[in-house]
Amino acid sequence: MANVIVNRIIDFLKNYPPFSFLSEELLGQVAREVDLLYFETDELLFQKGEPAKSYFFVVKEGAIKLTEQVAEKEETVEFCDEGDVFGVLALLGKRPYILNARANEPSLVIAVPVGIFETILKENSQVSLYFASGFAAGQVVVRSSLSQTQKVRALFGTRRNENGLMLFSGQRTIRYSDPVIHCPLGATVAEAVAEMARAKVGSILVVDGNQHPRGIITDKDLRNRLIAPGLPYDTPVDRIMSHPVITAKTDLEFSQVYLTMIKHRLHHLVFTEDGSPDSALQGIISDHDILLSQGNSPAVLIKALQESDDVHELAKLRNQAEEMLRYYLENELAIDFIAGILTEINDTIIRKAIEMAKKRLEPRFPELQELEFSFLVLGSEGRGEQLLRTDLDNALVYQDVSENRREQTENFMQLLARDVMEVLFSCGFHSCPAEMMATNPRWCQPLSQWKRYFSQWIREPDPQSLMMASIFFDFRSAGGKQALADALTQHVYDEIDQGNVFLNFLAKNALLNPPPLGFFRNFMIEKSGKHAEKFDIKLRAMMPLADAARVLVLSHRVVGINNTFKRYEKLAELEPNQATLFRDAGKAYEIFMRIRALEGLASESSGRFIQPNSLGKLQRQLLKNAFFPIDEIQKILRVRFQLDYFGS
Amino acid sequence: MNWKALFGSSPLPSPAYIKSYEKSLVRKIAKSKPLSELEFLVVDTETTGLDTKKDQVLSYGAVQVINNRIRVSTSREFYLKPKIRNREAIKVHGLVQERPFVSRELLIRSFLEDAAQKILVGHHLGFDLAMLERAGRSLGLRKIKNPGLDTYDLAVRLDRGRYYDPRTIPSREYSLDRLCERYGISLDDRHTAAGDAFLTAQLLIKLLKVAAAKGIRSYGELMV
Repeated sequence: MANVIVNRIIDFLKNYPPFSFLSEELLGQVAREVDLLYFETDELLFQKGEPAKSYFFVVKEGAIKLTEQVAEKEETVEFCDEGDVFGVLALLGKRPYILNARANEPSLVIAVPVGIFETILKENSQVSLYFASGFAAGQVVVRSSLSQTQKVRALFGTRRNENGLMLFSGQRTIRYSDPVIHCPLGATVAEAVAEMARAKVGSILVVDGNQHPRGIITDKDLRNRLIAPGLPYDTPVDRIMSHPVITAKTDLEFSQVYLTMIKHRLHHLVFTEDGSPDSALQGIISDHDILLSQGNSPAVLIKALQESDDVHELAKLRNQAEEMLRYYLENELAIDFIAGILTEINDTIIRKAIEMAKKRLEPRFPELQELEFSFLVLGSEGRGEQLLRTDLDNALVYQDVSENRREQTENFMQLLARDVMEVLFSCGFHSCPAEMMATNPRWCQPLSQWKRYFSQWIREPDPQSLMMASIFFDFRSAGGKQALADALTQHVYDEIDQGNVFLNFLAKNALLNPPPLGFFRNFMIEKSGKHAEKFDIKLRAMMPLADAARVLVLSHRVVGINNTFKRYEKLAELEPNQATLFRDAGKAYEIFMRIRALEGLASESSGRFIQPNSLGKLQRQLLKNAFFPIDEIQKILRVRFQLDYFGS
Repeated sequence: MNWKALFGSSPLPSPAYIKSYEKSLVRKIAKSKPLSELEFLVVDTETTGLDTKKDQVLSYGAVQVINNRIRVSTSREFYLKPKIRNREAIKVHGLVQERPFVSRELLIRSFLEDAAQKILVGHHLGFDLAMLERAGRSLGLRKIKNPGLDTYDLAVRLDRGRYYDPRTIPSREYSLDRLCERYGISLDDRHTAAGDAFLTAQLLIKLLKVAAAKGIRSYGELMV
């Protein structure tokens, strides 16, 4: 039986990874074997180069700093406070220490013997992953470890909904079609089909004189009971309809509706006033509607978007997509998959909006129906990595027209831009405060003008141009004529080929935001709590990586890859000797995207500002680990574009 | 035939563990031994009262401090079944739930084995040792003769220097509670023997650092 001293140790250790992953029994065994040490301020625990001791450390009280000698000065690399694990080289590989450990304040430290942990390391996959991913302090973040890191997240992540089906959780509203397409008993199949075709639906209800449902005819019935047996089109509907119909009351809960349909293997459920077949028809729901209301089937969602002609419907569907996003994030689905789906959904809305706008403008501009244009999305949406509905950055490019048609074309394109944006705003997207939108006449221009814009940015890379470059260079055609966007891309490369100095400027620009390596250190020093500092994950972590990826991809003349993580993947392919770093950078970017999106969903914001003390220890370490590739990537830029010799 | 032994006029022969403890006392710790290499056994007892003639040990807790490290693996916690249930003590110590009790012999044997070659440490150590001697008397234990270090005395000395008038010391300032508070030790498991031993051990490793900073470097200097 553990005594109170051992229990005291257990009670402390169990709160912190990796000890939190141990069974009660194992933790008891570990706790029984530890020593406690006390260090005064500035006292040294171990020194760089010293052979690894036979135990590693956990801070119980106080704070230990891990330091490095940099040109005569001892610089702090990392701070470890309560519960932080350090000095793990003793456990892993038994190499000499690579940092000094010094007490930052009077500190009580637990020494855990390596012996007992070695077995645990072999047998407990969570513990081994914890160490393999460099979660302990002062561990050099092994480059290839970020993919491990992701696995760890999946392992440790808390899941709100284990089975992943949103079927019965919180789903209450039933959206049934109303009014229902119907025809009277005795009508001919031809009449019924005409009605179905007009309403673009796959089924029609047959009602009697009291509007009570008597049967239903679906596309399948037409195939199997009319065409296959060779019946004439004037066959009465009564002969081929399915009956009786299964009916229900509209106040049924979603889950009951769904269960009723499964039980009767129904494709359609009919709602009537009192729920019996002998009362008036109220509505109908199909299994397709059910799937749709589940919300986590992207294919269904996208199809519904394509089929909808109603702005409110689009907005509703886009809200559902947000639920789907939350579900995907919580279930740790791959970010490239999530981003792909969200991008497709957003693009579908844009295409739908263009279609609707064109239709509306047709009577006024009949002669411009053949005009070629492309709706360009920029920034994160251009890179296909916008998960949340943040600010819209977009533009319109259209074919050059003769002078006599110029004004009319401008007019048409601006009206179209306005209509498209109206739809996007209704769908919950935000307007860009800097007016980088197609509705701004400056960004609604013919191809020749766009070429001039890009030429100017490339030839005169002043700060303004570079700012534009960081937004506009990630353009992508989300709707309209792809060829226009391609022509513009070609033009960009032609321009860059003529004057290489642009890329140097762009690279220099990418170094404007140094990696926030010291951030958590500062955070830890001021742990008093009154420090309400927030961390700008977009500016400090994502932009440096996105900017670097852009300039590197441009320098390789890669066309058509806009995703930051896909760009790094491509770079890894192109430069095998830097492959691990590039892959890590991509992984780091994915981690930031995920954290930002989760923060955004949680706080109903852009997710840009992260409150470090709202993050758990693991998440904080995860974030911290993900900062390291930024520094490495920036070093590469500095060397490759000779930025240390490059005046500003 | 040893008549004296038979009629109890001379003590019964001591068991082997007491003999080996007494033997261990012959070897003294070198005065020059550095502070960081000393070996301590920190003890605490909870008793039925404060009278070392009448009261009994209810529980015993101990942990060793070796090379400035508290060795959790050496921690001990034993409970004795009280002969007279003293309600007052039980209230203070909160020994309400049933404990797996051990025999007095096991307790004393464990203590003596651990104590060999150690400096005994306690807060008001003299009381704990007197209680342990009383518990061990009928087993043949005569006197606990280890060098002893009282954390009360050490704390006072580190504040006042070696020569002070004990009457001028505000003793309440040096209670275990106050010292723990002062040295930032959280008062967990207070009033259990092992809990108090653990607190005292933490106090010890902190006081030893203070002592070292004040120029106390060896066993000899610590024990004057």
